[in-house]
Amino acid sequence: MKDVLKLQKVSFSYREYNVPPVRKMVLENLNLTLVEGSKTLILAPPDSGKSTLSRLICGMVPKYLEGDLSGTCLMDGVEITSRQPWDLVESCVLVGQNPQEQLLMTTCEDELAFPLESLGMPAERMSRVVRNSLRKWKLLDFASISPQEMSGGERKRLLLAFLDTVPAPLWILDEPFDDLDSQWRETLMQRITDHNGTVLVLASRYIDEFRGSFDHYGILSEGAITIGDEQDIVIEYEQLCDREYTSVESCTEEHCGKALSCSNVSFLHPRKSVKDNAPFTLEVPSFTLRSEEIVSLVGPNGSGKSTFSRVLCGLDPPRAGEFLLDDQAVSRRDLSRTVGYLFQNPDYEIFLPSVREELAWSLSGDRSRTAAQKTALVAECAKLFHLELDATPSTMSYGKRKQLQAAVHYLLDRPFYILDELDSGITYATAFEMISLLRSRGAGILLITHDRSFSDRLSQRSYTISNGTVLEREGQV
Amino acid sequence: MTTNTFIAGKGFLYRFDPRAKLLLLVLLCAFVFLPVSMPGLWLVVAVVFLTTWSSTGFKQALHPLRSILPLLIIMVVFIPLTHRDSEVVLSISGFPLVTTGALENFNLLAARFIGITYMCTLFFWTTPMGDIMLTLRWYGLSHKAALVLTLAFRFIPFIADAFQMIQDSHSMREPNLGEKDRRRQPLADVVPTVTSALVFALKSIPQLAMSLEHRGFGRAGARSAYRRLAPRKGLFTHFFFSVMIPASLWLVFNTLG
Repeated sequence: MKDVLKLQKVSFSYREYNVPPVRKMVLENLNLTLVEGSKTLILAPPDSGKSTLSRLICGMVPKYLEGDLSGTCLMDGVEITSRQPWDLVESCVLVGQNPQEQLLMTTCEDELAFPLESLGMPAERMSRVVRNSLRKWKLLDFASISPQEMSGGERKRLLLAFLDTVPAPLWILDEPFDDLDSQWRETLMQRITDHNGTVLVLASRYIDEFRGSFDHYGILSEGAITIGDEQDIVIEYEQLCDREYTSVESCTEEHCGKALSCSNVSFLHPRKSVKDNAPFTLEVPSFTLRSEEIVSLVGPNGSGKSTFSRVLCGLDPPRAGEFLLDDQAVSRRDLSRTVGYLFQNPDYEIFLPSVREELAWSLSGDRSRTAAQKTALVAECAKLFHLELDATPSTMSYGKRKQLQAAVHYLLDRPFYILDELDSGITYATAFEMISLLRSRGAGILLITHDRSFSDRLSQRSYTISNGTVLEREGQV
Repeated sequence: MTTNTFIAGKGFLYRFDPRAKLLLLVLLCAFVFLPVSMPGLWLVVAVVFLTTWSSTGFKQALHPLRSILPLLIIMVVFIPLTHRDSEVVLSISGFPLVTTGALENFNLLAARFIGITYMCTLFFWTTPMGDIMLTLRWYGLSHKAALVLTLAFRFIPFIADAFQMIQDSHSMREPNLGEKDRRRQPLADVVPTVTSALVFALKSIPQLAMSLEHRGFGRAGARSAYRRLAPRKGLFTHFFFSVMIPASLWLVFNTLG
C-alpha cells in the first residue's frame, strides 16, 4: 500500500500584523501518514487547526492565507507546495466546515458541474454525474435553486455531493457531520465506509456515531497529531475537552417570570430562483418559551427551523398571527430587543476587525454605563468566553467565532435566546459552558440542534417540526 | 458569492433569447443618451417599469427605485444649484435657487438614471446567470473573462446582501426593552454597517479564489461546458426585434428631425 499523504514535521503559523508580532503556531511538528484506502478520524477541539490542516493539504494555505510553513507535505510522493490547487482536483476533494465559504455558483447543478468542466468532462457524461450526485443527496428538486435559498443542512449536503461528483481518491472532510440531521449523518458515514479511496475526517463531536467505523484514530492538539488505539484516543479526547469546561451555576433571576408565546402563527418563505407553485409554509398552532427553561426545536434539514427563528426574533414578519410577551402583543422591533438570535453561521453576526470592537459594539447603545465600566465589562466577558481581546475574528477558528458570537449576545443580556446549531464546530463542554453563561441571568433558551443526545441532556421540553407544522413533543424530555 | 440575481417569473422576457436581450439592453441604454423628446424618454422609462412590474410583481419592481433613491435625492439637492443663468423659478433674497434650466437638466438625468437602472435590473432579473455567462462567451469573451464579469455582476448584489445581513445583525443589538432607547443617528449608524459590509466582501475574495482553484479553475487543459444556449428557431426574429425596438423608438421620439 502506498502513502497517499505524508506530512512530516510540519509547522505552520499565520502571519500576524500586530506590532510587535506575536507568532502563534497553529501546527507544530505535525506528522501524519495516510495509506491508500485507509479511513482516519482525527478528533480535535475547536481552534486546534483542523481547517488550516485541511486547507494545507489542498494547497490553499499558505497561498491564500499567508503564513510560515516548514516541514514536508507530500501527496502521492510530490511536494504539495510545488503544485497549484487546481492540479490537485483529481487527487483530493475538500468538504469544508462552513459551506458558505466554498459555494460560488448560483444554482446547485452549476455548482457541482464546475469542477467537471475544469476537468474537460464531456457534457452528456457531466450531466449524468451531476444528476446522480444530486439524486444521491436528495437534491434533485433543488437543481435550479440558488444555494443561497437553501437551509444550512441542505447547503452542507450540496457540498457533500462533491464527493460523488469529483473523481478524487482522497476525501478531506472538516467537521462534515455538523448541520446534518441524524439520517444524513448515517448516510454520510455509509458513504465514507463504502468509499474505495482514502478518507481523512477531522471532527470535534458525534464521537459515539463514528466509533468502530475507522481504521485509524488520532487527536490533533497543540499543533500535533497523536495516533493511537480507538479507546485510548476517545478517552484522551474527552479528558482534553473536559478541561475546558467551567460550570456556571449561579442565577441572579434578573429575567425570571417572563413568557414569550404565540398561537396560530404562520409564515411563508418563497424562493426567488424558481417559480414555486407551492412555496414553503410553516404553521405554529401554539408555542411558549418561559424564562429559565431550555426548550429544544428539532426537525430534519430544511424543515424551517431557521425560518421560524427569524420570525420569532422579529427579523421577518409572520403571514398571520402575533407574538405575546407576558400576554401582551409585542411588535417586531420589541421582539428583536427581547429575543437574541444566534445565527447558525456566526459570520452573519461578526464583522468588526477585533474581538474588543465586536464586543464593545454590543454596548454602544447602553447609556446607563460609563466608558470605563463598558471597557471592564468587555474585558470580563472576553475572559468568560476564553477570547483574546486583540484577536482578529476573521482569522479565528469557526468554533472560536461561535464563542465570540455567544459573547456578543451575553453582553446584550436578553431575556430569551434562540441558539441555532450553537453546538456545531464546538465541543459539548464548550456548548454547555456557553449555554450556562447565557442563561446565568435567567434567560429562556430555544435550542435548535440535530444532536438528539445533546438536546435531551439539556432541554425540559421539546418542539418538533413535522410536515410544515411546529408541534410540542409528547411527554417530558 | 452564491448571490443570485435571477427571479423566476413569466412573460415574454423570460422567453427572449439572452443574446438578443443583451443587444437590446445595450441599444436601449444608448437610446436614452440620444437627443429624444422628454415625454418620449419618460414613456420608455414607464414601459420598462411596467414590464418589470408585470414580470416580477409590483413590490419587487419598487426595489431598484428604493436602491437609487438616495442618489436621486442628492440630484434633487444639487442640480438646482446648476444652470443659474437661465430663467429663475424660485429665489431667496435674490439668490436663484431653482431655474428652468436646472429643472430640465434634472428631468433628463433622472429619466436616464431610472431608465438605465431598470433596463439593467430587468436583464439580470429575467436571465439566469449561467445564460449571461454563455451569452458573453457567444459574443467572443474567453471563459476566464466571462466568469470574472459574471462574478463582478454578482459582487454588488453580494455587498447589498451583506449590508442587509449586517443591518439585521446590528438591529438585534438595540438596548433591551425598558432601557433607554439609543439616540438615532442615521448617518453615524450607517457608517459601521457600510464598513462592515465592505470588510465582509473583501474577506470573501480569498475564499472565492480558494474555492475556484480547488474546483480546477486555472487548469491548462481545455474546459468543457455543462450548459449550452438552446438553439432557437426564431433567433433571427429575436435579434430583429432587438434592433427594431430601439430604432423605432428613436424614429418616433427623436427631436432632431
